[in-house]
Amino acid sequence: MSERRQLGLMLAPYVVGALLLFVVPAAYSIALALTDADLLTPSRFVGTANFEELAFDDPIVPGVLWRSALFVVIAVPLRLAVATTLALMLHARARGVHAGRTFAFLPSVIPDAAWAMVWLFLLNPVYGPVNWLLGLLGIAPVSWFSNGTAAFFAIVLMLAFTVGEAFIVALAARQELPRELYAVARLEGARPWFVLRTVTLPLMAPVLTLLAVRDVAVSLQATFTATYLLTDGGPDRATLFLPIYSFDMGFELLRYGYASAMMLLGFLGCLALALAQFGLVRRWRLGVTR
Amino acid sequence: MTVLGASGSGKSTLLRVIAGLEPADAGRVLIDGADQARVEPSRRGVAMVFQSFALFPHLDVRRNIAFGLRARSAPGELIAERVRETAAALGLTELLTRRPGELSGGERQRVALARALAARPRVLLLDEPLSNLDAQLRVSTRNEIRRVQKQTAVTALHVTHDQVEALALGHRVAVMRDGRVEQVGTPDEVWERPANAWVARFIGTPPMNILPSGEAFRAEHASCAVDADGAYTFAFAERVGAERYWHLHLGDTEVVVRAPADEDVPERGTRISVTVVPGRVRRFDP
Amino acid sequence: MVLGALHPPGAPPPVGFELLSVQPSLDAFARAFELVPLGQQLLNSLTIVAIAVPLTVVCASLTGFAITRLGRPWHGLAVTFTLVCLTIPASALWVPRFAVFRTLGALDTYVPLIAPALVGTSPLLVLLCYWSARGLSRDLIDAARLAGLGPIRVWWQVVLPLTRRTAMAVAALAFVAHWGNFIEPLLYLFDTAKATLPIGLSSLRQLGPTDAPVVLAGAVVATVPPVLAFAVAQRAVLDDTRRAGWVPRR
Repeated sequence: MSERRQLGLMLAPYVVGALLLFVVPAAYSIALALTDADLLTPSRFVGTANFEELAFDDPIVPGVLWRSALFVVIAVPLRLAVATTLALMLHARARGVHAGRTFAFLPSVIPDAAWAMVWLFLLNPVYGPVNWLLGLLGIAPVSWFSNGTAAFFAIVLMLAFTVGEAFIVALAARQELPRELYAVARLEGARPWFVLRTVTLPLMAPVLTLLAVRDVAVSLQATFTATYLLTDGGPDRATLFLPIYSFDMGFELLRYGYASAMMLLGFLGCLALALAQFGLVRRWRLGVTR
Repeated sequence: MTVLGASGSGKSTLLRVIAGLEPADAGRVLIDGADQARVEPSRRGVAMVFQSFALFPHLDVRRNIAFGLRARSAPGELIAERVRETAAALGLTELLTRRPGELSGGERQRVALARALAARPRVLLLDEPLSNLDAQLRVSTRNEIRRVQKQTAVTALHVTHDQVEALALGHRVAVMRDGRVEQVGTPDEVWERPANAWVARFIGTPPMNILPSGEAFRAEHASCAVDADGAYTFAFAERVGAERYWHLHLGDTEVVVRAPADEDVPERGTRISVTVVPGRVRRFDP
Repeated sequence: MVLGALHPPGAPPPVGFELLSVQPSLDAFARAFELVPLGQQLLNSLTIVAIAVPLTVVCASLTGFAITRLGRPWHGLAVTFTLVCLTIPASALWVPRFAVFRTLGALDTYVPLIAPALVGTSPLLVLLCYWSARGLSRDLIDAARLAGLGPIRVWWQVVLPLTRRTAMAVAALAFVAHWGNFIEPLLYLFDTAKATLPIGLSSLRQLGPTDAPVVLAGAVVATVPPVLAFAVAQRAVLDDTRRAGWVPRR
């Protein structure tokens, strides 16, 4: 078999998977968004009606978009900071580092649904350990799931721990930095903070940028399990983010066409980020250019 | 056959094209007269010793040597026999169960050579085979390569940027510059009769002297003496290995000549005359 | 979580330090298995993981290496495509994927749950494999090619053994991802006999707050397998990753 054929064969699973899971669905979602599909009765072409409803008629959408954006703006930097800080603390070989890495990664091993159950218990207003700890500090008990702001931050809090993937990548990126640079910095008498600012972070910047863009998708996606199991978007829509709202629209109300339009919006937002990222990739040679 | 050229002159690319690892932009690759354009790399009968040795770190020496034969599904006895022979020829018998990580640089080099030879190639390609070794190992490995090449009578194409290595190993030397061959000849020819001024300057330490008039000669073919009527002025003296050289100026041109024996180093600016051995002067168009 | 699960069911767990002083009881576990067919769901989850994890490792590693061997412009296109996929939240494609699988008649089967293994479960895992294959010396690959190995055998005999670390890490991450997958079973499976563990947990959730120990017991059951898998692979994932080549060198 020729080399080209073999290469084709090796790439076949990926190409099939990519078509099945990304390319065809992406194209199909555009078609769906222009119909009133419910996947039960024959769907009708409705033109841009779904988009018009999204933009003008659905009173819930602006809140959902605003809340999702707010969540991303708060959660992504927080999660990235947690992952990077852990990676920088635990990159060197020292006592206890291995245990530290294990603990840093452990919350990400726990299935999302189980993690939600744990927080359901931790944040229980009556017997939850978190309120008890707050009580020790003299803070009045918080009713986490009936106060909108508290529920929002409860979701942010529980997702601040599950950063295993970003942690591993940041750890690998830190370990890849040449030791000679740090020897030079020591010889020059640079302080740790100075080294962090002028050497470590700039050199890790390409990987951190990739992680940041990636985490927009990951953290938004992660809100689904948490909101579905814990808050159902409530109280008073305080945790109604884009994934759960489009899920309700599509799979609860069977308005697939409308849900498609909504998801397309999210898809385009992420595509815009991806293109911005493509510019960065060009500059930082993550593999596109050799 | 040795290809000599500065880094970036296209030597390695040449080897990769011959091996079929990269397509040729133009021209043909002939092995024993047959065009290789449509022949897969592994069917060209070429083997290569890489600059980095490219030993498989997860395989022991025996399996590294046997790699090409196993890949071509040669029969087991043949593989065992070839490995034994090749390892014996290169003094690797004791090391067969070691992994590359446990070997010294010289040993790795010999394993790389053994792996290349085990499949009995028609052409052996050597890409800077000595550049990863320290100076002392280089001389002994050079002799080793020469011995093995004689013994196996394989056609070897050797690429290097080191002219000492090139002139010592090559039966014929091709001098390359920017992807073009400037001269092909025996080491003596290239040394004594460079085809052009560029080759003259490229080969030899010190390089050939070329006067503005176009006359050229090597430092060891000239003698010099302090002479109040001399056309040259003295700049400084220098020792390179066994030889001592005087650096002189003729106008703006620098000229290097073997120093006269038992002569004290003169003052800077002292007048010097130079005599070239008759018949050793070459001419290039200025 | 473990502490809470060891308390007896039927009453809320105690508050404060008393939580630490338990008389360990497995009643909550027994109750959880009674209420929900956790055993069957455990088996279902294990089946999916047993297929999806090896498939992920093979596909991600094959793809990663194959991309390094592509010429222009396919090399750049493949990497760019993977990076773009990395930035799309799965929720953006729920509806059309659901429709595609419905057209294929694959609803209420494990096909939609296993299919992502073809693209390495997460594009990130393909990139890890790509980067670590690219980190291998070019001479090494060329030596194998000259010896007569085609790309598939080069992958099997050279690339896979030399990137074993990465393969282990990919396996561990794929296990965690498939095991914890909550959304896709929710979308694609209707038959309760086919449900996976996370779905079982969400049914336990319907219980009242007084049964926190039972809910937590279910969570423990769902957490043990990935923790075990991670324990096996943790050296591969968390040890010094220098030279594993997981991030591109500049």
